[in-house]
Amino acid sequence: MTALVLNGLVNGIIVGGLYALLGLSLSLLYGVLRVVNFAHGELVIGGSFVAYMLFRALGLPPLYSLPVAAVSFFAAGWCAYYLLIPRLSRSDDPETMSFLLMYGLSIALAATLLLLFGADSRSIDYSFNPISVAIGPVNVSTARVVALAVTIVITAAMGWFLFRTLPGKALRAATMNREATQIIGINVVRLSALAFALAFAIAGMTGVLIALVFPAFSPFSGGEYSIIGFIVIVLGGLGNPVGALIAGVFYGVAEQMATVFLPQALAQIVGFALLVGTILVRPTGLFGFRALR
Amino acid sequence: MTKPPSPLALADREHGDRIYRRLAVLLGAAVSIYFVSVPLLGLNVAFHFYMMLWVTMATAFNITSGFSGYMPFGYVAFYGVGAFTTAVLVKKAGFAMFVALPVAGLAGVLLSLLFAPTLRLSGIYFAIVSFALAGICRLTIANLPEEITGGSFGLQLGSRAQPIFAFYTMMAVMLAALLGVLWLSRSRLGKALRAVRDDADAADMMGVNVGWVRLQGWMLAAFFPALCGGVEAWYTNVVDTETAFNTLITAKTVIYAVAGGLGTVTGPVVGAIAMSWLDELIWRRFPLINLLLLGVAVMLLVLFLPRGLVGTILRARPQWRRYIP
Repeated sequence: MTALVLNGLVNGIIVGGLYALLGLSLSLLYGVLRVVNFAHGELVIGGSFVAYMLFRALGLPPLYSLPVAAVSFFAAGWCAYYLLIPRLSRSDDPETMSFLLMYGLSIALAATLLLLFGADSRSIDYSFNPISVAIGPVNVSTARVVALAVTIVITAAMGWFLFRTLPGKALRAATMNREATQIIGINVVRLSALAFALAFAIAGMTGVLIALVFPAFSPFSGGEYSIIGFIVIVLGGLGNPVGALIAGVFYGVAEQMATVFLPQALAQIVGFALLVGTILVRPTGLFGFRALR
Repeated sequence: MTKPPSPLALADREHGDRIYRRLAVLLGAAVSIYFVSVPLLGLNVAFHFYMMLWVTMATAFNITSGFSGYMPFGYVAFYGVGAFTTAVLVKKAGFAMFVALPVAGLAGVLLSLLFAPTLRLSGIYFAIVSFALAGICRLTIANLPEEITGGSFGLQLGSRAQPIFAFYTMMAVMLAALLGVLWLSRSRLGKALRAVRDDADAADMMGVNVGWVRLQGWMLAAFFPALCGGVEAWYTNVVDTETAFNTLITAKTVIYAVAGGLGTVTGPVVGAIAMSWLDELIWRRFPLINLLLLGVAVMLLVLFLPRGLVGTILRARPQWRRYIP
């Protein structure tokens, strides 16, 4: 029993790290732009398929496709921002309309992946040299440990960027008060484009890691990750990147523990119930503070 | 100190109301005659059945989004629960179809009461919670004992197929929904709903019971999709969780309603009819990239016609607002 619980805990932290990345990029977008990215899951799966393609075509190990995914998704995000968002802000209710827009994007992306790769589940047939490592009494696959390490590196880099560099501080400032940021002479449009591109880049890298950690992915599995991302950002407080990190790990552990103690289907309901309960009881999130307006 | 309206203004308003009523009757008659004659003339029954279904769904969605200002992204929950209520009652409890359908509608209303606490949320929070609640409904029904809901295979209604009856029942439901919204748009409740949507505090100050008004709109908006789900179950004879709770049902409802324009009676009708045709054309021409085109159509719609067809026309010609239902 203790072995099962320990196993759940370790895997929960690894999976939770990925969920934290989902939440991090979603909350970055929501914070700066008030855009809820419904297409996030599909973007993530797009990242998985980039790793899959590079591995199949060039034999590139998944870790090397991380920078490729990051750069290509960053560029795609930059373009997507200028294509989509400036027009959006002209509508009567940009927040709801952004949800609808991203919904359309998610349908279009899933359909594109379906056309390119077919409906079958795919996996990357790649393994590290010792296939698994022992952490105390628990055996974990090396791929998962590597994924956790990469997650920590990405998170640390984002933390350094957000808290130590000028553009990062500007991003956080825009999250707190967009108008005031504009008044002190920061180019909010370019900043928003940066946030959009960064969120896309994180999504792409998350996708590569998901291809390492989870056994399979298909064009239809994007929706699940979007929902997990929503749960995480709501638990952590919308637009709060640090809260999203904590909430991601928390939710990952809770989910893995639930699969230890409950049947699979109930574990899914637990996630939804957690989300609904949190919003109804504490709309600012478990770790949130009331946003300054 | 409000002045009584001058006789001239009164006459003007009556003139406007007369045109409004005439247009409503004319449109209603045109729609009814068209759909009544579909099976008689041997037109495509399935296509028109779904067109009526989408008109009803979009019209009912308009009550909660256009009139009340909520965007339930889990709208399919009502539809799915209606479908399953009908199927279980008919198949397992041996109810007659015409008894089961109203009960399905009531089940939708009951579900809306269960979801009522979410009405204190707004904007994106409401949308996300609604989406999650639809997921919970789907998972709950999928995990009920197989003797009741048929598990992953779903329920087959077997020999109860009466497509033409189902077609005309769908038409009755659609007309009921249209009449309901037509009444709502001019009623006290409709005005109260709009007032609450625009400024809940101000409406509260004016003596509107905000919570009760919202709840009424919400129940009305839940009743019709549940009926739609029930009638569709009757029409296709099959219910299962994957199709009855498919998020595409929410997506199409929202898209069709937005395409026509929220907040007007004609908007969702025009949107649903136009988009059904477009969908059919796309399907026939490009069956493979159908889904991709749907996604792109949504994005273009949001970017270039955020107020919908009717909404854009009314914005260009605000004086027509008095005449167009």
